[in-house]
Amino acid sequence: MQHSTIEKSIPLMSILTLVLVAIGGIVEIVPLFYIKSTIEKVEGMRPYTPLELKGRDLYIREGCYNCHSQMIRPFRDETERYGHYSLAAESMYDHPFQWGSKRTGPDLARIGGKYSNEWHKAHMLKPQHVVPESVMPAYPWLQENVLKTDDIEKRMQVLSMVGVPYSAEQIANAKQDLAAQASGSSDASGLNKRYGNKVPKADFDGQPDKITELDALVAYLQMLGTLVDFSGQQAKAR
Amino acid sequence: MADKKEVETTGHQWDDDEGFPLKEYNNPLPKWWLYTFWATIIWSFGYWVLYPTWPLVDSFTKGTLGWSMHGEYNKEMDAARAHQKPFNDKLEKLSLKEISQDNQLLQYAISGGKALFGDNCAPCHGSGGVGVKAGGFPTLADDDWLFGGDLETIHETISNGRVGQMPAHLKSAGGNFTDAQVNDLTAYVLSLSGKSQDATAAVRGDALFHGEAACNACHGDKGKGSLKDTVNGQPPPPVGAPNLSDAIWLYGGDPKVVRESIATGRTGLMPAWAKGSKDTGRQLDPLAIKQLTIYVHSLGGGQ
Amino acid sequence: MDPNLARTYDYEVIKKFSIAAVIYAVVGFLVGVILALELTFPGLNADIPYITFGRLRPLHTSAVIFAFGGSVLFATSYYVVQRTCKARLFSDFLSNLTFWGWNLVVVLVVITYPLGITQGKEYAEPIWPIDLLITVVWVAYFINFVGTLAKRKEPHIYVANWFYLAFIITVAMLHIVNNLAVPVSLTDSYPVFAGVQDAMIQWWYGHNAVGFFLTAAFLGLMYYFVPKQAERPVYSYRLSIVHFWALSFMYIWAGPHHLHYTALPDWASTLGATFSIMLLLPSWGGMINGIMTLSGAWHKLRTDPILRFFIVSLSFYGMSTFEGPMMSIKSVNALSHYTDWTIGHVHSGALGWVAMVSFGALYHMMPKLWGVTLYSTRLVNLHFWLATIGVVIYIVAMWISGVMQGLMWRAYDTFGNLNYSFAETVAAMHPYYLIRSIGGIVFLVGALVMVYNLVMTVRGGAKQTPATAA
Repeated sequence: MQHSTIEKSIPLMSILTLVLVAIGGIVEIVPLFYIKSTIEKVEGMRPYTPLELKGRDLYIREGCYNCHSQMIRPFRDETERYGHYSLAAESMYDHPFQWGSKRTGPDLARIGGKYSNEWHKAHMLKPQHVVPESVMPAYPWLQENVLKTDDIEKRMQVLSMVGVPYSAEQIANAKQDLAAQASGSSDASGLNKRYGNKVPKADFDGQPDKITELDALVAYLQMLGTLVDFSGQQAKAR
Repeated sequence: MADKKEVETTGHQWDDDEGFPLKEYNNPLPKWWLYTFWATIIWSFGYWVLYPTWPLVDSFTKGTLGWSMHGEYNKEMDAARAHQKPFNDKLEKLSLKEISQDNQLLQYAISGGKALFGDNCAPCHGSGGVGVKAGGFPTLADDDWLFGGDLETIHETISNGRVGQMPAHLKSAGGNFTDAQVNDLTAYVLSLSGKSQDATAAVRGDALFHGEAACNACHGDKGKGSLKDTVNGQPPPPVGAPNLSDAIWLYGGDPKVVRESIATGRTGLMPAWAKGSKDTGRQLDPLAIKQLTIYVHSLGGGQ
Repeated sequence: MDPNLARTYDYEVIKKFSIAAVIYAVVGFLVGVILALELTFPGLNADIPYITFGRLRPLHTSAVIFAFGGSVLFATSYYVVQRTCKARLFSDFLSNLTFWGWNLVVVLVVITYPLGITQGKEYAEPIWPIDLLITVVWVAYFINFVGTLAKRKEPHIYVANWFYLAFIITVAMLHIVNNLAVPVSLTDSYPVFAGVQDAMIQWWYGHNAVGFFLTAAFLGLMYYFVPKQAERPVYSYRLSIVHFWALSFMYIWAGPHHLHYTALPDWASTLGATFSIMLLLPSWGGMINGIMTLSGAWHKLRTDPILRFFIVSLSFYGMSTFEGPMMSIKSVNALSHYTDWTIGHVHSGALGWVAMVSFGALYHMMPKLWGVTLYSTRLVNLHFWLATIGVVIYIVAMWISGVMQGLMWRAYDTFGNLNYSFAETVAAMHPYYLIRSIGGIVFLVGALVMVYNLVMTVRGGAKQTPATAA
């Protein structure tokens, strides 16, 4: 076929273009959904608790992904600095993914449990007070803003629609579980039953009288990278 | 203007009402361009044969080299381990004390400890352990310790973490004391380091400190802290209660801050770092903790 | 020119888009400068949540790519398609719909991002109602563009329009797939895809936003304005065919090079790397066609600063399309990923290529739209030098800081232990962040010179001739 035929016909040119640009995406994207080795089989992954989920929403609201990655690459310097390299399974419930593309600040994939809640609070209020070299802005409003929790069930429902395995029980008890995790003192047996004993429970922001955005964000940060246990046998990588 | 070489245009013309009409020469593809293009295509075909590339039904072409990024990583780690093996073998066998007596091994441990400290510990304790502006994170470069500055204690602290709990005393914060009583306690605590301005309040505070509030149970009869002081002749429990009589403050020595510590209490938490010790995202193996111990001990305050 | 013909073209919508482009250019560059200064002097946001780096950075990228770049593309594509088809735009209604719709998108973005109302996907941050609005505008754009093409007098579609068409079609596909989400409320939604699949789809989108928005479409612009300004025929029709189809086919595969050594499987990474390498020559086809079109008109560079914008933009284009494939090689990417090198690369493309070629097109087109002559060629020249110097300062600073950062992260001492803590690498970046800010300021000043020049041009035009009737 002569090119002049194509360049004289709008439908021909349009369809040919669409077909050509569609191929690459189909070949690269579709197999990720069916090749089983893409997402490793690992122990320990669970959906976010309601409080962590709210914290993750705040992580997105504040645009933390613009400066922090959550993806440790399999290089010696990275695993020595941050811990075991990240597995695809560890972000299987992340809508959207938060791997990031830039490290103006350090990787956060395994930040969970690394520092105390007090440290996170001090750091969020004035990063330079704990890390003088830091170029991070301060987030004082997080400890002032009371956490909005009225839409938590809706959020979990939507996530379960797109594949996060929240049970009806987890959704029904969302507010209760959220409060239990953020108080650190009230009865957490329901939360433990639904999400496991390992869930960190505390008054994350040191303000026992209210549940703030800081509670949620710190709760989220404190669970990052803590679900899959790498201490024994290395998780089987593909 | 004259064209140097006369090449035919395609004969089509666009936008010729105003300005220069758009025309196209039909020059052949530049040879170097075409050849380089083919070269990149051939290179890619070669790459596809050698490396994992094409998705299949439930797998993908693995490539003839058997390369994978995780395989490559394991090789890199093996090489690094081989390089450090002579040191690590000794580090594993020798006790902390013995390590600190072997100069070369000591240098090695300090180098490794320093690297670990920079990314894991410095955010709370400051670069080189010199402390940070925010209160509550102890300086490691002085000789004022909460739980102890000898090698074994530092090792224990890093491995399993510590919790320092100072209860609230003010009634509204869940304690048992009035505003005035908290003020008196504050005056007494400040007087221990010679900073109190209200001697009569300090006398009342003294009574509370050793009496109803029982601060001495942790901080000791002289307020010199759980590490150095005694209660009725016995050492206090090892709870990391700070020395109140020196000029070193964990949360700050400003009267307002001291009052706040007494009124609403404090919780200091040092995370556990040993593998399997707790569910932390970042865990350190025994060798790493040994090196960190040596490094922290070397910072200046080691006992 | 036949005055009757001139009157048949719809220049009004082009004028509006041109003015929008100039305004958004300044806004986008200004926000960029603020961000650069925030990294240089932390705390500069004075604890104001709305202007933290995390909330403002998406505003910067969207303002430059979609508000400025998008307006330039709407303006030039409407200009080019009318003139090369000798036909008025298909529908005045659709023209206006695209203008007001697109600007509504921009306004909503400017309001929502600082409030933290975002989808959290890079370069695709708008929330779902805005995404729907974008889709409507885009369909209108497609119909309007194709409808105009259908009215063409010359049976052959000019090469510039191939590129614009490919851009419109591909961006529609990318936008729709990458933004599939289930709403929670008017402002919130969760994407349908998660984790590794979401990452792949995001960078399939993200890289081809670069590929088709910032490359293919601007090549279309280049194919009209360079020969027009140089008054030379396009160098090679044959080359334009080969590189157009090769570029369209290959660009789309390159996305995974943004995810080398992540949890994306090896095989996808390989495809991304190899197609990026194969993409080099198809990309360069556009540069060759542009620069060779100018050959024979080299003497004009001495007197025509607009042509200078074109030649330098093509040079930056050639350089960044070489740098890109190089950075997609896995071992190079291992060093460059996560560092400022990527930021430098993006800016050599976005400022050096996209902005410079846009400036050239605006200087060429705006006097014609208003039927006047350019107010000052000397100011164009001044703008040219400020822009060039600004870009060079910027990218050199980012090259140094990026490579240094990458090397410091993986530096070992003699015992084989990490030599620097992350915090130390942050401290080492400070001087380069300052230099980068200066580069950005110089570039911004250049843009302000352009604003003055174009305002005077348009105003002077109003005095000399009555505005072209639409």
